[in-house]
Amino acid sequence: MTRRVAIVGVGYSDFRPATPDVAFHEMMFEAAVKAYEDAGVNPRKDIDSFIACSEDYWEGFSIFDEFVPDQLGAVLKPVCTISADGMYGVINAYLQIRTGAFDIVAVEAHSKASDIVNMWHVMAFAFDPIINRPLKMHPYVIAGLEMMKFLKDSGNTEEHCAMVVAKNKKNAMKTPYASYGSIISPEDVLTSETLFHPLKKLDASEFVDGAVVIVLAAEEVARKLTDTPIWIKGVGWCTDTPWLEFRDWSRAVYAEMAAEMAYKMARIHEPAKQIDFAEIDDKFSYKELQHMEALRLCRKGEAGLLVEEGVTERDGDLPVNPSGGFLGVGNPLEAGGLVKILEAVLQLRGEAGKRQVPKAEVAVTQIWRGVPTTSGAVVVLGRE
Amino acid sequence: MSLEKIRDPERMRRWPGHMETDYVYTVGLAGERFFREIKDNGKFYGTRCEKCGITYFPARTFCERCLSELKEWVEVSPRGYVEMYTIAYMDLEGNKLEKPEIWAFIRFEGVFGGLVHKLGEVKPEEVKIGMVVEPVLKPKEQREGSITDILYFKPAK
Ligand SMILES: [Zn+2]
Repeated sequence: MTRRVAIVGVGYSDFRPATPDVAFHEMMFEAAVKAYEDAGVNPRKDIDSFIACSEDYWEGFSIFDEFVPDQLGAVLKPVCTISADGMYGVINAYLQIRTGAFDIVAVEAHSKASDIVNMWHVMAFAFDPIINRPLKMHPYVIAGLEMMKFLKDSGNTEEHCAMVVAKNKKNAMKTPYASYGSIISPEDVLTSETLFHPLKKLDASEFVDGAVVIVLAAEEVARKLTDTPIWIKGVGWCTDTPWLEFRDWSRAVYAEMAAEMAYKMARIHEPAKQIDFAEIDDKFSYKELQHMEALRLCRKGEAGLLVEEGVTERDGDLPVNPSGGFLGVGNPLEAGGLVKILEAVLQLRGEAGKRQVPKAEVAVTQIWRGVPTTSGAVVVLGRE
Repeated sequence: MSLEKIRDPERMRRWPGHMETDYVYTVGLAGERFFREIKDNGKFYGTRCEKCGITYFPARTFCERCLSELKEWVEVSPRGYVEMYTIAYMDLEGNKLEKPEIWAFIRFEGVFGGLVHKLGEVKPEEVKIGMVVEPVLKPKEQREGSITDILYFKPAK
């Protein structure tokens, strides 16, 4: 019998497009103390291990790993950094607890995107330095190319993408931590400035600053800490080839594989029926559609149809991104996966207030690391 | 939590920084020969995995599917077709481009892979998926053995 693992605490700092008043440590500190308060744990005594998720280039540091322990209560404790999205941190925390070595593990990720002066150059540094980078292309060229290929092959349309934007921005109006909520029409999206045809300005999420901390615990500890543990039912992660030249541009294969791994563990055979709502990666509007299909929330080529029919609205049969997604909340870089999990936990606990989805027993959360990557992770969460 | 937020912008201090990151990236065994063929002979090469029955283009020294070492070099026709394209209106500084750039993923017959590159000698509204294109190389004496030896791809005659 392997140990079950639950999320017992969540905390987040004030999410804003710019945070000139607080340093990254202070945002992390704010999220951490809120999460520890929520979990009812003393970080200096109770937490066995800490995992921070960050990328040196987002931070402007070399070996950023060294700068995470103090504000998390992790000084002179087992701590490590994963150079990946926060969802990978949660998966690693889950595995650490499953080994039996630790009972309580905390995971942190944050974004200080507003501190990055030349964002597009930093992002373009993720291109292969020999085959791609000398061409000096904007990283969103990849999104423009992928959007065209995905729409052509799947039969989804630019209008469907625009509906995703309108839905998510509307959902975000009721999400306290969302920065980009608004009531707009699909027409507003379609007529917004074309940046990387067919990608328009409103098809792309804007960046946001913020930190999230999640506390996980082994079953026997979780039951003592809370009446509403949210169980990790399945996890998966996967990376396609890094080469632009050899990847699959049409499907999000990394998400398909990560989802199959997580679904198998969670015994989800018919995701569209067994899952009550989804918090999935929508850094670009078309990615929500592509990821819905990858996660088998609908049949291939039918994601847009579901959006059109209102199925993915907050009060629909299968709400997708009730938080407002990244299009509504903002793209918080490596904290993206933790925002997805944060929202799923609040919904599953029944603590989502005005944005509570009607049925919340099982949720799927999913993250993609953004252009030009083909990396992603999936975590299935549920109540008892 | 009651972190006191500073409200007077004059009191917010920021320290400008710059990450010095100068590198020389080793092109490697496959890249060395791949770029030399473009530089010296204006030719495209891929490498073949017999086991998987695919030819990688651009050439590489190993197969990512079966992890075989790839030693068989195969010439690839430089004439390809546009699998998909995008028209970029923004540069890396976030400024609007005076003249939009057309970027395409170009596939070549009989190989696994392709190239992301610019299209030239064509107007944005004339570009079509499936359009046959060919590379425009720098004059031989100006080539340096890099991906920029290909200036762009243009509609094939
Ligand atoms: Zn092979």
